Amino acid sequence: MNKIILAACAATGFLSLPALAEVVVVVNPKAAESALGKEQVAQFFLGKSTAMTPIDQPDGSPLRAEFYKKVADKDAAQTKALWSKLVFTGKATMPREVADSAAVKAAVAANPKAIGYIDKSAVDASVKVVYTAQ
Amino acid sequence: MLDRINSSIQVRLPAALDAPFIQQLTYSPQHIRMNKTILASLLALPLFVPTAQAQDTNVKISGFGTAALTWSDDDRAQFGRPNQASGTADSIRTGVDSNLGLQADYAVNSWLSLTAQGLVRQDAEEHYGAELSWAFAKFRMSDALNVRVGRIGLPIFMISDYRNVGYVNTMLRPPAEVYSQVPFNSVDGADITWRHELGNTSLTSQLAIGAIKTPVAGGFHVRGKDIVALNLVAENGPFTLRAGHARTNVTVDDLASLNTLVGSLRAAGTGYRLPQLNTLAGEIEARDARGTFSSIGLSADWNNFVLQTEFAKRKTATYINDTTSWYVMGGYRIGKFLPYYTRSELKIDGAINNTVPTACPAGYPAACTPTLLQLGNAVRRIPVSGVGQGEQTTDTIGVRWDLYRSMALKLQIDRIKPTGSGLFMNPQPGFAGPVTVGAVALDFVF
Repeated sequence: MNKIILAACAATGFLSLPALAEVVVVVNPKAAESALGKEQVAQFFLGKSTAMTPIDQPDGSPLRAEFYKKVADKDAAQTKALWSKLVFTGKATMPREVADSAAVKAAVAANPKAIGYIDKSAVDASVKVVYTAQ
Repeated sequence: MLDRINSSIQVRLPAALDAPFIQQLTYSPQHIRMNKTILASLLALPLFVPTAQAQDTNVKISGFGTAALTWSDDDRAQFGRPNQASGTADSIRTGVDSNLGLQADYAVNSWLSLTAQGLVRQDAEEHYGAELSWAFAKFRMSDALNVRVGRIGLPIFMISDYRNVGYVNTMLRPPAEVYSQVPFNSVDGADITWRHELGNTSLTSQLAIGAIKTPVAGGFHVRGKDIVALNLVAENGPFTLRAGHARTNVTVDDLASLNTLVGSLRAAGTGYRLPQLNTLAGEIEARDARGTFSSIGLSADWNNFVLQTEFAKRKTATYINDTTSWYVMGGYRIGKFLPYYTRSELKIDGAINNTVPTACPAGYPAACTPTLLQLGNAVRRIPVSGVGQGEQTTDTIGVRWDLYRSMALKLQIDRIKPTGSGLFMNPQPGFAGPVTVGAVALDFVF
């Protein structure tokens, strides 16, 4: 009984602190990858590897800023400059940008090679978590 | 190659229409009206299809640009970017540093994509002009191997293929001391890029081959034939190290003053029996003359320190100087501001040696000595005449401010010390420098 109360309290405490939302990296449940390192995740989102297709959150969204800061240690402007370099030298095209975490899940669920990042609270069975941004 | 790919795309378009639906329309009682509808839809297709595909991310249109004002404090010579026809001289100009680029990327399928980029800027001519920066088909052979065919960027500098994209760069413009040394931006041909990981280091090897003809300020052309460029890049975290070597056979077309000089030297050499003049003419002439360009570069974006440096050597078997050029840029990022300092230098290692005698032997016609003096004067001016010739150093301070999403504002002050007229254009008598050049630029991407 005490344990249940404790668990309930913990859960409530967690849910009542959205400011501490964790960013998790998700892939299609059918994807071979079960866990990825920070460097590997960064590769896909910095255009250094084309083995997976990155899906971005909207430009200017706090989740996107937090993701790039934690995974690549780059702010929005640095990330934009880096991608612009890849785009205008014809090396890569900008990652596809979708509206929110739900749209990221839909895109990832539809493509076994897609990789996205969402708020941990949005995780469900349609996607598989392979990395939690620290 | 490109033609074949393009035609295959056009074949795809009608296939997207529902065939039975077309038949039905054609044979319906109202077929005349319907045929008009089909015609209208077909006409709209080229416009409609890219829009539809843009949502599918198959076609992407993106662009970059810079709106800038540039001024200098000396009216006796003009300051411009390498290969501009004119520049600023004690006046404010928009044309030196402003440009606009548009790019279309079309992913045909998982292994083939098409890219074209157009650029509007002032280059070689007095006005803004449009040029095709590149247009290539890219074949993705594997995750590690790419082949591109068409017009591709010539990979000879650290920032060769994004030197015109202000937003991507720290400095307002690439240092002219280094970037004036090769007139070619692109090559019509092919390249192969191989990427592989070595521990935490990513290595990229690129080999480009082809040819290109480039218009040069002054109304002439430079042709590069049998271009081979090797570009090696190692990236490790915030550090990028590159080394490259390129060679070509250079021909300068339609440069009247050069043709006249070479012709006159030959005529005088043969007429006055001074064979060294014929030899000299051969050394000056730029017809399939071997030229090489070797360069190394390092860039780093480590913590808040930003570093970019390049060192380059040019050698040619023609009138174009052999040179050493380099620059070092250091900056420190403070939030959205990035102040920087750059030192750049262009030095002549070797130039055409003036072997024209100062006087003719006794008994020669009276016109001989004045002719030789005239020829000697012309030959002596070669190392400091024309695009990318001359020597100079520049100290630059500037600041980049990332003021808004996809937009950066830059302010840059250059203090340029030319030897003679350096890289300045149309120097007037009495010009010696140093010159202070200022510029403010708004860079954007979309």
